[in-house]
Amino acid sequence: MTNIIDPIAELDEARVENQDVVIAKSRIIFRRFMRNRTAVAGLFIFLALFLFSWVGGFLTPWDKETIDPFNIGMGPSPEHFLGTSQAGIDLLAMVVEGTRISILIGVIVGGLSVLISAIYGCSMAFFGGKVDSVMLFILEALIMMPAILVVAVATGSGGDGLRALPSWLLLIVVLLVFSWMGTARLVRSLSMSLMQRDYVKAAKYMGIPSMKIVRRHLVPNIGSLLVLDFTRGVTGAVLAEVAFSFIGIGIKAPDISLGVLIGQSTGQVSSFPWMFWVPLTVMFLLTGSLAMMNDGLRDAFDPSSSSIGSAKSKTAKKKTR
Amino acid sequence: MLKYLLKRSGIYLVMIFLTTSAGYFLAVSSLKPALLEQEKIPRPSPEQVTNSFRLLGLDPTKNPWERYVDWLGGVITRWDWGRSPNGAYVNAEFTDRVMVSTRLFIASIILTLVIGVALGVYSAARQYKFQDRAITSYSYLVHILPAPIAYFLVQLGAININEALGQRIFFVTGISTPGIDPGWPAFVDLVAHYAVPTFAMTVFGWAGYQIAQRQYLLDNVNADFVRTARAKGLTRNQAITRHALRVSFIPVAQSIAFTIPAIFTGGFFAEAIFAWPGVGLWSIQSIGMQDVNVATAMLAYGSVIFAVGAILADFATTIVDPRVRVQ
Amino acid sequence: MSTNIEQPTSQTPAERLRDVGLYAPGDAVLSVRDLNVRFNSENGVVHAVRGVDFDLMAGKTLGIVGESGSGKSVTSMAIMGLLPTTAEITGSVRFKGKELLGLSDKAMCRHRGSDIAMVFQDPLSSLTPVYTVGHQIIEALTVHNPAMSKQAKESRAVELLRMVGIPSPKDRIKAFPHEFSGGMRQRVMIAIAIANDPRVLIADEPTTALDVTIQAQVLEVLHTAQEETGAAVVMITHDLGVVAGMADDIMVMYAGKPVETGTVEDIYYAPRMPYTMGLLGAVPRVDASQKNSLVPIEGTPPNLALPVTGCSFAPRCPLASDACLAGEPELWAVSGSEGHQAACIKADSLATDVDVHRIFHAPPVPVSKFDGVPRQERNTVLELRDVKKHFPLLKGALFKRRIGTVKAVDGLSFDIREGECLSIVGESGCGKTTTLLEIMEFHPAQQGEVVIGGVSNKVATDAKTKQAMRKEMQMVFQDPTGALDPRFTVYEVLAEPLENLGMPRAAIKKRIMELMKLVGLQADHVNRFPNQFSGGQRQRIGIARALAVNPKLVVLDEPVSALDVSVQAGVINLLDQLRAELGLSYLMVAHDLSVVRHISDRVAVMYLGKIVETGDVDRVFDNPRHPYTRALLSAIPVPDPEVERTRERIILQGDLPTPLDAPKGCNFATRCPVFAALPEAKKEKCLTFEPPLTPEGNASEGDDQEFACFFPDGELDADMLVVHA
Repeated sequence: MTNIIDPIAELDEARVENQDVVIAKSRIIFRRFMRNRTAVAGLFIFLALFLFSWVGGFLTPWDKETIDPFNIGMGPSPEHFLGTSQAGIDLLAMVVEGTRISILIGVIVGGLSVLISAIYGCSMAFFGGKVDSVMLFILEALIMMPAILVVAVATGSGGDGLRALPSWLLLIVVLLVFSWMGTARLVRSLSMSLMQRDYVKAAKYMGIPSMKIVRRHLVPNIGSLLVLDFTRGVTGAVLAEVAFSFIGIGIKAPDISLGVLIGQSTGQVSSFPWMFWVPLTVMFLLTGSLAMMNDGLRDAFDPSSSSIGSAKSKTAKKKTR
Repeated sequence: MLKYLLKRSGIYLVMIFLTTSAGYFLAVSSLKPALLEQEKIPRPSPEQVTNSFRLLGLDPTKNPWERYVDWLGGVITRWDWGRSPNGAYVNAEFTDRVMVSTRLFIASIILTLVIGVALGVYSAARQYKFQDRAITSYSYLVHILPAPIAYFLVQLGAININEALGQRIFFVTGISTPGIDPGWPAFVDLVAHYAVPTFAMTVFGWAGYQIAQRQYLLDNVNADFVRTARAKGLTRNQAITRHALRVSFIPVAQSIAFTIPAIFTGGFFAEAIFAWPGVGLWSIQSIGMQDVNVATAMLAYGSVIFAVGAILADFATTIVDPRVRVQ
Repeated sequence: MSTNIEQPTSQTPAERLRDVGLYAPGDAVLSVRDLNVRFNSENGVVHAVRGVDFDLMAGKTLGIVGESGSGKSVTSMAIMGLLPTTAEITGSVRFKGKELLGLSDKAMCRHRGSDIAMVFQDPLSSLTPVYTVGHQIIEALTVHNPAMSKQAKESRAVELLRMVGIPSPKDRIKAFPHEFSGGMRQRVMIAIAIANDPRVLIADEPTTALDVTIQAQVLEVLHTAQEETGAAVVMITHDLGVVAGMADDIMVMYAGKPVETGTVEDIYYAPRMPYTMGLLGAVPRVDASQKNSLVPIEGTPPNLALPVTGCSFAPRCPLASDACLAGEPELWAVSGSEGHQAACIKADSLATDVDVHRIFHAPPVPVSKFDGVPRQERNTVLELRDVKKHFPLLKGALFKRRIGTVKAVDGLSFDIREGECLSIVGESGCGKTTTLLEIMEFHPAQQGEVVIGGVSNKVATDAKTKQAMRKEMQMVFQDPTGALDPRFTVYEVLAEPLENLGMPRAAIKKRIMELMKLVGLQADHVNRFPNQFSGGQRQRIGIARALAVNPKLVVLDEPVSALDVSVQAGVINLLDQLRAELGLSYLMVAHDLSVVRHISDRVAVMYLGKIVETGDVDRVFDNPRHPYTRALLSAIPVPDPEVERTRERIILQGDLPTPLDAPKGCNFATRCPVFAALPEAKKEKCLTFEPPLTPEGNASEGDDQEFACFFPDGELDADMLVVHA
């Protein structure tokens, strides 16, 4: 651990010499992220899939409902790039739709659950005492519930109350209820330890108002955790959707998602292999790209990361799992 | 120690009660078995349905609260978890189902743990070498593969092997062949049925242990106390196996107990894919049958498994870590 | 092995022989020749140890002195064969003539722990938490004596624990490390090290993590261990005081290389290398009222990943000339002194009468405008009246239950006047840090009254009053890294308090430039992040932040304890200078009594939440009345071999008791050397009544020194007195 002058820091210094503005940290993090090849590849794959899910429909004149009576259960052909189902529906059109639903579920569940966990976790750490223990009790009770059963009950309902919602929206609601507890607990312990840090104490002793301390010192330091958890949450939600729909308790036909497409085709893997492997590949690209980005983000945020410069600090934090 | 465990158990009992009650209300308000009856041939009249359900304690005319009170009364006073729409008693079937699931899981739980920890140690010892990269990449790959799809792929593979060999070596569904001779043929049949699901649950189950054990061991191989052990005259390998390994096992021991509920969930998928008539398959089928009482009982069972896991985790920690031991 | 025969001709034949590894004194148990260690890092190859030579004679003690990164610990690990396999080690390490370098891990294991043993720095993490201490001692015996019977090993383990001073060793052998205090764990470490009667004992900063009183105990145990086993000792330390009394020879290391070697007397009384001279001048002394500035060594050690072309100290050396940059100087024999060597081309011109303060441009002693004003006539900036802080004590890591109350601070009263520095000293756990936190908290619900700048905490109910108080008082933290948000640039760090006051942007910028200059940092570094600075610079940023709002009082929590010796002096001088220039008052907490004596005007000695002695720093330190103060002072090692060898030392028994066991009468009675020697009749008084703070000396000087002891002039218990003749 010697004081090596970091080339990036040097560059920064040269550029900043005549400015009195502070270097934007987001730019440093962005630069570090862009230096990680795996992460950039992941980002590109994800963006490509995202684009595909919105404009992919233009690649084919067919849509997800129209049956092509002349091409029933056909393999990939110039007319149907990815083939058709045994009902004669164009697979490309269905994959486009399925990818969109899967990404939608992932992003909404990932995003909202991070928000819920941040608010819930911070509140626990901030108020402490009785409030903390009651909230912790609720949190643990939720962790205790077997989520899969609740998903099955909620989406398998024969009643009309919950059926009013489309099944993907219903799945989002249920996944959301069971997705935030782990992060909330992490946020809680992290904020609690941050509040014990000397620099937070210093701010307090300078008379900085509590809310400002939370905004300036707590949130940015939890921020990296939240961003990481967002990508993790998206991955988790996509995986959960596929898993649940696969065994028939998540999204149900006629709604389409990657899980539905994969699940429906399991019976005919040998006769219509493209129906199984194409959506599976798309799912792999999606979850894989998210995992790759997550890896790059973790390095970019890690203050003890080797690319941060002449860090002599011994506060190397363990990577949050 | 005992007092503490009792206190924890008390808290978990309250939680189980709350989650089960919440589950009951959710089930009762969303599952409508009467709708399924309408599909029967000959179609029963609504009065007939109501009457038969009333006899089963599933009266659809009562409001959820009334039904909850009736149901809870039955559970508390007679330990009666109610009946299914087809008249079966939940209590009667429960034991069989749990036995089937437990038999299926026990082998893979042990294998998963042993292989996962062993591979974790092995990959940590060969950090950044080819073996480590291969093992760890595999574990990360498993993380982005949903369990049911993974199991399905294994099933597919087993079918392909059967086809390639031209005879049925592995059974990819079910738990036994009906009417098999006892003794050696029954044993072969048993193995042929167990092999595929156990293999699937094991190879897709150890990833978590492998990554955790590898990380914890790596955190400890350069610990000061390992250096002390080496300074005494132990070789590096001796110091690591005698000192670092034991310490790195503390968090793993904690997580073992916590994975019991995870295996319960994973078992859900395994049972669904491999058609084992265990707890998981029962739950899914019962929800398909709009069966309120079975769904609730399963929810309660899941919560109890979790609570047992959490208490075992505390217990395991006190066994392996003297720092939390209290006389 | 380097067989570099073409050495400069200026060497004596013996030296040349020594360099090729052929010559070693016959009775040396350990001979190290041209030891080099290189590590591969992502920043290139780091040359951590560059050519270390020494001979260790049986029963003698060699002190290796250096700052962090000087390569002293790496040297010891290389000798032990404990470096990672990626390290490239060349040269020769011979134990009784047998080459150790290049041995396999397995072959080396026969020597490790039996011939050469080691004691490490951090006793808290150096023992395996899941095994009993008995198990760990017995393991050391088993490795080298497989034939030994179980009973024999067990009784040997008990004997070892008794030897290192663990009370009731028979029972404690079954205890786990976490049931021991830090000092006790270090004793266990020593027991493990001497288990097989090693010929060489290497102690790497064995007392750095410990309190002074415990340090004195552990050094004493090491001394006993050496006497019992007759082992030669290599004592590695950054503290020139610790080795002064113990070592026969000293090797000073800088940037991976020995820069001066010689006998203790040579090094302490006639240093010839500017670095050694600087180090000696940089540490304040506890035994002398020393009111001149400390010797600051500017700059930071060189980057060892870069090739060394000249003298590695030259960039920091005030005497450096162009000649110093042309080739790195070897260790040359110093004229007029046998065996004394220094790696400086100017060594011969640096005779004894050179004034190190002048060489290093030590700043003149700053004079404050308050220095001439009598204390009584100055305004009070801080006053505490009977402040108390009691915590409920919870036991168990997983299963918590309340088992009593800890009286962390128990009825504290003192005041600080303008321009004055009051230091609170005591062992860790005595309540000194809690005191600071209580003052900083400043809210009406506290027990007791805190008055800051005339405002009492009892009336501080609204935000405005609190805000006003925050302007009066600011804090500097112990760990300069933890005190700065890693995501803030220096500009942001310094702007935070100013923005909070609503200062306009232009004024903030101006003020920040002012502050940077004030604390001796380059103004154009404001856009850097804290991790781009060295520890000393970070502490300066912390000080600048505290000064941003122009406070009257600065609270300093161990402001220099996390810093290297050479850097420490600069920060202490800065604090001195700021106090004089800005008319500041300081309230400081420190465990290093030498630093306290240097900075402070007044001192308060705390023991278990109470002040046991207070007053003018020179009066208290020169004429301590309370037995605890006497013990504390005698535990501080002085960087003066003569003084260290002859002086009488009070070694307190045991650790600081948990505040739970606080006895009814005098808190200190359980460890008191006076109490132990008192006749029974008098002991009764100490056990029944709590001694009040009473003034010392004639009434006219009044409150200058107060202490809380009934028998300040009592005889000291002979068992707790140690003199090394």
